[in-house]
Amino acid sequence: MVSKQNENSMGPERHPWVSSFLEGWSIFRQNLLGKIGLTLLVMFALMALCSYIPPWISPIYDPMTGVDPDITSCSGPCLRHWLGTDFMGRDILSQLLAGARIAFMVGISAAVMSIVLGVSIGMTAGYMGRFIDTLLMRLADMIMVMPTLLVVLLLSAVFGQLNIWTIVLIIALFRWPGVSRIIRGQTLSLKQRPFIEAAKVAGASHFRIIFIHIMPNVLPLAFLFMTFRVTSAIITEAALAFLGFGDPGTVSWGMMLQWVWKTGHMFQAPYWLLPPGICISLITLSFYMLGRAMDEVLDPRLRKEDQTD
Amino acid sequence: MELRKYITKRIIQIIIIFFVILTVLFLLFRLAPGDPVSMMVDPDMTQEDAEMLIVQLGLEQPLGMQYLIYLKNFFTGHFGFSFHYGDPVVDIIWDRLPNTVLLFTTSIILSALVGVFLGKIASWHKGKKVDSIMTIGALVTHTVFLPWLALILIWIFAYKFGWFPINGMISEEVWLDPEAGFISRALDVMYHMVLPLSTLFLIHFGAYLLIMRSSMLETLKEDYILTARAKGLEEKVIRDHHAAPNAALPVVTSVGLSLAFSINGGALTETVFTWPGIGRELVSSVSQNDYPLAQACFLMIAGVVLISNLVVDVLYAYLDPRIRY
Amino acid sequence: MALLEVDNLSIGYNTKKGYLKAVEKVSFDLEAGASLGFVGESGCGKTTIGMALMGLLPPNGSVKEGRILFEGKNTLEMTDEELRKIRWREMAMIFQAAMNALNPVQRVGNQIAEAILVHDPSVEKDQAMDQVENLFRLVGIPLDRLRDYPHQYSGGMKQRAVIAMALACRPKLIIADEPTTALDVIVQDQILGEIKELQKEFDLSIIFISHDISIVAHMCDHIGVMYAGQLVECGPREGVFESPAHPYTKALLSSFPTVTGKRSDLIPIPGETPNLVVPPHGCRFCDRCSGPEASCSTEPPQWVEIAPGHRALCCRC
Repeated sequence: MVSKQNENSMGPERHPWVSSFLEGWSIFRQNLLGKIGLTLLVMFALMALCSYIPPWISPIYDPMTGVDPDITSCSGPCLRHWLGTDFMGRDILSQLLAGARIAFMVGISAAVMSIVLGVSIGMTAGYMGRFIDTLLMRLADMIMVMPTLLVVLLLSAVFGQLNIWTIVLIIALFRWPGVSRIIRGQTLSLKQRPFIEAAKVAGASHFRIIFIHIMPNVLPLAFLFMTFRVTSAIITEAALAFLGFGDPGTVSWGMMLQWVWKTGHMFQAPYWLLPPGICISLITLSFYMLGRAMDEVLDPRLRKEDQTD
Repeated sequence: MELRKYITKRIIQIIIIFFVILTVLFLLFRLAPGDPVSMMVDPDMTQEDAEMLIVQLGLEQPLGMQYLIYLKNFFTGHFGFSFHYGDPVVDIIWDRLPNTVLLFTTSIILSALVGVFLGKIASWHKGKKVDSIMTIGALVTHTVFLPWLALILIWIFAYKFGWFPINGMISEEVWLDPEAGFISRALDVMYHMVLPLSTLFLIHFGAYLLIMRSSMLETLKEDYILTARAKGLEEKVIRDHHAAPNAALPVVTSVGLSLAFSINGGALTETVFTWPGIGRELVSSVSQNDYPLAQACFLMIAGVVLISNLVVDVLYAYLDPRIRY
Repeated sequence: MALLEVDNLSIGYNTKKGYLKAVEKVSFDLEAGASLGFVGESGCGKTTIGMALMGLLPPNGSVKEGRILFEGKNTLEMTDEELRKIRWREMAMIFQAAMNALNPVQRVGNQIAEAILVHDPSVEKDQAMDQVENLFRLVGIPLDRLRDYPHQYSGGMKQRAVIAMALACRPKLIIADEPTTALDVIVQDQILGEIKELQKEFDLSIIFISHDISIVAHMCDHIGVMYAGQLVECGPREGVFESPAHPYTKALLSSFPTVTGKRSDLIPIPGETPNLVVPPHGCRFCDRCSGPEASCSTEPPQWVEIAPGHRALCCRC
């Protein structure tokens, strides 16, 4: 099979990002894991979008406050409630859809925040070197040792019930070390390149060099890591909600599991117990598969090449 | 001796990190919204007991002085009294610690060993059905949501089949019985440990399997494997004696890196199975606003993570002669 | 009967871009106690031949045609079991990049002893270690380094250890693939000298593979020049060195200064090696040759005998 370099040879003026994106896409397309992951994610995204539909159809479908006049307790699937109702008579399917929305929101915001932090700190550490580098990396080491979930638990003890955005922020605060390490490594190798020397000679300030020259070269790697950060944020929020420390105003999958567990319906209501757990697990799986596929795109060594000699 | 220097350096690092955590906790509880006194002193205590405690913890003193008293208390084991239990916090911690260590260490060792073993086999049969099944299995089990897996296991094996107890670590009958010997007590604990251990095991072994598998595939490309083959060694010997010991090293590193993640899982498992460990104590103490206990539990867990990190580092140094010499 | 007879050997690799014909119809003989050097640029197929002799081709490599007769028996028709018995015992290899040829987590002495123990189960562990000590003395490694790990050895010492390991079972044939490429010149000289001594002492046959014709000329009585998978010239050292027939051999020698002066690692001959997936029908060296004839590019060249035992694959010679 001839490689798809033809696309690149046609347009020499193409922005390097575009041609590398196209090359990456062709590799990605051949990867089964990536395709499955992407399909699943699209499915969840659709779920999230559809979450607005049930409450719009009728108020009895509202995930938090929806009350069906005929049903006031946990019941099984029926025509009106495809997945049944929870202990308060709320529709489980609309809760599930809302949960998808929350999952994406939490996952992506936490990932973006931790990437922003991780990239800035990583670049600064790598570029400034010496004392600042050591300080920042020691800090990163310490944070990496901490179990995020338990830290958030402790903080909620001190500060009381946390709202969803605070949770997202704290998760991001504990996730940047991983990103910063890799970005720092990249920065260190970029630092030696001639174009940075040229910028320095031209009198560019440190700030300018870091954010305008180094950052564009470092971002693609950062995006790769975003996929992994998303899953851990989703899982952390789910675990928190499960334990009862989530934001009581949001209906997340973890919260649903908390309800089914704490209200003692665990053994009798599989239609309530199974869907949220399956969703959390599948979304984690799909991001993981996506991340692995992207790994292959970004690191040529991982691709399945035959050996030539 | 390189190894000794390395271990000493790591121990010092860990002590420093622990102190930083200690200090951060101190600041957190003193500077948090609300009255620090209500954080550390049980509102149900008598007036005199409360005042004695306030003096002991130095809550009326300036911040710097408080810090020193705090450190002194730490070293002498005074963590205050639990609001919920009324007992000294330190006693509760010591009581719970072995349970957590038992579950945690067993699960990590088991999942690492099985993961390495299966990963080796999977790499050997790369591309065939065995490999695909193992890889997919590892991937699926690794991404399942832990508390949910725990609930499912309880539902199926404890509730539906009744093979295992639904929760707890011990059966009261066995432990209160004066006739019961050590063996029957140990067996009772193991019986209760099956489901929690299975949960932790299923979640974690997949990661190690996948890492060992790719590590083996990389190692098998190395020059010294070619040398081994040229020497006329059997494939099985090459795989087990030459490739595997090298391939296992990254797995050890990854165990170390994922310790924080593992302890999260440990706390969740303990909570769902009502296993009386420190993780569960942390969760319940937080939800009951039992501040002294929560603080101490967190500190203890941090200590467990740090020490486990040290153990893994030392193990790695021992296994890789390039570090030892 | 020669120790090794290779007859019309062709080897190829299955790659994404097609079937790469790495070695094409190579034939040569090697007597017991003699030494033959293969010289050529990277990718000419010399390492592939070495690997094929040991039966160590990678999974995507295969022998398309030919025979490899070692002591009269065709190794290509042997079972895995038979091959494993010959490997190291009769035929050993010193690999390119000895830097990584030793297992990093095993002690060096143990790795060498393993070679002995595998082929002679009647030997006891301490007897084997005694033999390893003897080998260390032979190659010049201090005995107190026996229980060290590979990363504690210097480059030269590692190479010596690899040589000691190759000699462990007293094989009849040693294939040395660029054994000194990664070493500095002084150590290289020492090692080459040692190899020559060992050859004399044990009456070994050596196949020496290198891209450096000066080394090959120094070490071997016979030289085989390879280009683009084909053996283009073959003969006794003096003959090939002093009266080279093939244009490629001439180019190789002329880009190398004699007597004193710096060695050149890369041989700058204009042009590129041909595509081995679809090789040219005629002479493969044609478009880099200094004086091709009209028929060179259309007709495959034939073997021409320059002198007794000295032949070249060329139309013009």
